[in-house]
Amino acid sequence: MSLLAVRDVSKRFGGVNALAAVTFNVDQGDVLGIIGPNGAGKTTLLNCISGLYRPDTGDIEWEAETISGMAPYRIARLGIGRTFQIVRPFPSMTVRENTAMGALFGRPHGRLQPGAALAEADEVLDLVGLGEKRHYPVLRLTVPDRKRLEVARALAMRPRLLLLDEVMAGLNHVEVEQALEMVRRVRESGVTIVLIEHVMKVIVGICNRALVLNFGRTLVEGPPAEVLKDRRVIEAYLGERYARSQEPPSDAPPTVEGNQHHPRVGESNEE
Amino acid sequence: MSQFTQQVILGLLLGGVYVAVALGFSLVWGILNIVNLAHGALVIVGAYITWDLFTRLHIDPFLSLPVDALALFVIGYALQRGVINRVIRAPLLFTFLLTFGINLVIVSLLLLLFTADFRSVTPSYSGSGLQLGSITIPYIRLGGLLVALLLAGVLWAILNRTRVGAAILAVGADRDAAQLVGVDLRHIYALTFAIGAAFAGVAGGIISTFQSITPTAGDPYTLQAFAVVILGGLGRVSATVAGGLAFGLIEVLGQSTPGLGSGYANAIAFVVLVMVLIVRPRGLLGRLA
Amino acid sequence: MTAAERRLPSRVRRSVVAIAAVALAFVILAPLTSIDAAQQAGLPLLTDKLWFRIATTVAMFVVLASGWNIIGGLTGYASFGNVAFFGLGAYTVGVLVQNLGWPFALALVAAPGVAAVFALIIGLPLLRLRGHYFAVATLGVGVAVGEVVNNVGALGASTGLFLPIVRSDLIFFYLMLGTAVLAVLTTWIILRTRFGYGLLAIRENEEAAAVIGVNTTFYKVAAFCVAAALTGLAGGIFAQWNSFINQENVFAITDNVQMILMAVIGGAGTVLGPVAGAIALELIIQTLAGGGSGAVYSQIGLGVLLAVCIIFIPRGVIDFFGGRSRLSLRYFRQTLRETSA
Repeated sequence: MSLLAVRDVSKRFGGVNALAAVTFNVDQGDVLGIIGPNGAGKTTLLNCISGLYRPDTGDIEWEAETISGMAPYRIARLGIGRTFQIVRPFPSMTVRENTAMGALFGRPHGRLQPGAALAEADEVLDLVGLGEKRHYPVLRLTVPDRKRLEVARALAMRPRLLLLDEVMAGLNHVEVEQALEMVRRVRESGVTIVLIEHVMKVIVGICNRALVLNFGRTLVEGPPAEVLKDRRVIEAYLGERYARSQEPPSDAPPTVEGNQHHPRVGESNEE
Repeated sequence: MSQFTQQVILGLLLGGVYVAVALGFSLVWGILNIVNLAHGALVIVGAYITWDLFTRLHIDPFLSLPVDALALFVIGYALQRGVINRVIRAPLLFTFLLTFGINLVIVSLLLLLFTADFRSVTPSYSGSGLQLGSITIPYIRLGGLLVALLLAGVLWAILNRTRVGAAILAVGADRDAAQLVGVDLRHIYALTFAIGAAFAGVAGGIISTFQSITPTAGDPYTLQAFAVVILGGLGRVSATVAGGLAFGLIEVLGQSTPGLGSGYANAIAFVVLVMVLIVRPRGLLGRLA
Repeated sequence: MTAAERRLPSRVRRSVVAIAAVALAFVILAPLTSIDAAQQAGLPLLTDKLWFRIATTVAMFVVLASGWNIIGGLTGYASFGNVAFFGLGAYTVGVLVQNLGWPFALALVAAPGVAAVFALIIGLPLLRLRGHYFAVATLGVGVAVGEVVNNVGALGASTGLFLPIVRSDLIFFYLMLGTAVLAVLTTWIILRTRFGYGLLAIRENEEAAAVIGVNTTFYKVAAFCVAAALTGLAGGIFAQWNSFINQENVFAITDNVQMILMAVIGGAGTVLGPVAGAIALELIIQTLAGGGSGAVYSQIGLGVLLAVCIIFIPRGVIDFFGGRSRLSLRYFRQTLRETSA
């Protein structure tokens, strides 16, 4: 039995099909990467899973219980946490208080009191690397730190599934490495992860499966390395002509120039 | 049956007034994101100007409308540039409170100048109207409707056919982008508000012809303007026209329902408001927010 | 220049607290000099009818401002219709006491109940709206309920409702004061519990609050009901104290704006902000009103004061006490720069 089952989910906004018949499963221990061009529907998918949107058709099941259409707070308490692409901290609270909010409200069982929640927050902050800044007001944090805070707050909920929406966006190479390390630590603590990313280093580096969305439809699913080589994926990102131009010609002999390095999706020439 | 038709006609005529009142309100809200609680006060100022010109100089109310427009334009520009502009980037609550304060000041000044006595403007053609069979169309009301539609046309023309209008729409769409292409933000803000005030002034002039005015008579119009904009939708002149006419119909038909009377004007406005917000938030013709 | 932002010097703060304590003691104890026993014991009369009237009104606005603060300041939903709860509380007492012969004490228990139930009914649909829409929808509630009351014969229609006169400045003062203490205490307790954190989260970022497990609908409606109950209780007391209620004096939108202004000027979202704001503003209003040409000038004064405060002190006076800013020209200029075009 899968942890999360998304079946045939569709969502329209006005005339636009944000999601069309999306189907996939997430098993315990997975790190599923969701990729796709901008506007492919990735964030909409997360919003449907976390309850901010209600799918027009289809079902979303968590441990065989239907959660599509449930209020967001109930889905949260079932053990699903998420971050937002553009971070949403609570500005009037400190880092510690922000994190504690996750513990205060998101636990599946038992209600924590503010004091206990703050104590829990300290542990989580150490995990994500914000321990020293626990008393900072949120507005003093840099962008990478705000993203960490966003993750910390979700982790304080002790979720079984964590949905990360472009946690790496806007980070430089060093920061991406650090963030990757943090995500690894989260995975090792037993949390199943679904992450939306554009940074392919992350997908290849930590995901055991990848799912590609394009125009709201699932394109390909499978191990990251294979998915990234798939012609359809290259076509989605870089266009049909480019994809065609990268295919080896059917009957022609090997080219005189020898090995040509064809960049795959997500690689740049510097890497 | 003709009773019903008479009601419908009256409803549309009343709707004309609402269109006139709501146009300026809608413009300021749509472009500046300000819900102007002093709008009703601006309307009443226009009414008093018309009354004053009528009483002292015997100028026909409809001829005094341009004077209303000009006077309120100047007042509106000064008000926005000098006062409201200072809080335009503050949270909505503050502009709300500020415009309420302005409303208080304007109404109080009117009380000092004109006392609370009821004033009316009664041109010679006040009582008469167009007779179509058993249906009467009062001239005053008809004039009001025509002026309202004219105003709508003028606003549409300003917004869609002039450079200034383009600047206004640009500022409404994206303030920062508009600045980047050289729009003088503060001037356009003030200009937009001034235009809204001018329209309010004209509406006031119209109102003075069929209603007795007193300094506090403007307050209900603010709430009704809000209801009209919600009902019709934000973002287009046609939406405000539709909303105003619809609202006029609802009010007339609602008040002729047994059990309700003219004392329920505000209650009706509110119920309409809430139902629209819940059922169809963008109104009849509004753009998706 | 964050280093430059300091609290008011602790010397000043200490003296302010001391003055406030003395003033509070006076307010609580002085009225006792008016009872017969004190008079016979030779104590000087420290309070007169005017004092009682003003003090009771100030206490009333403390309740109103604190009540508004719970839904507007803590939760971030600026209601312009709280005065409807005041009026409903007033009319509940009015109808129960005058028309149905209930004892005042019993009616006073019913008043907050009626207001809270109304808040529940109206809150469920309206709290789904945000910003402008919520503000004006609630404005509509305030106006509409008042209008309905004005038209219904059984409620006195436009004439209003007269209650049997109870002459006791003392009782009503202490009742209102007690309610004010209750209101402040309620706010203080809320801010120390999970409920309070939930409200703050809703104010700061409602969607984030929802996805971390805050039942936003329940919390918002609950806050609205608590605010309504406190406001309704004040209304109930007012009805008997004033012995006369009609649409104009218990459904006045200016009262609603006043309570908002008090909470905001004092410092929305804090415990003592509404108290400070209510006391300061009401005293100013009473002074303006008493000063001769009466109502009109006090209105102008209120309007101008409102404008000035909104423009120059958006975060509230409590800012200077709470540690966020110094009272300085730089503060005002910075505020202006942040909020002007």
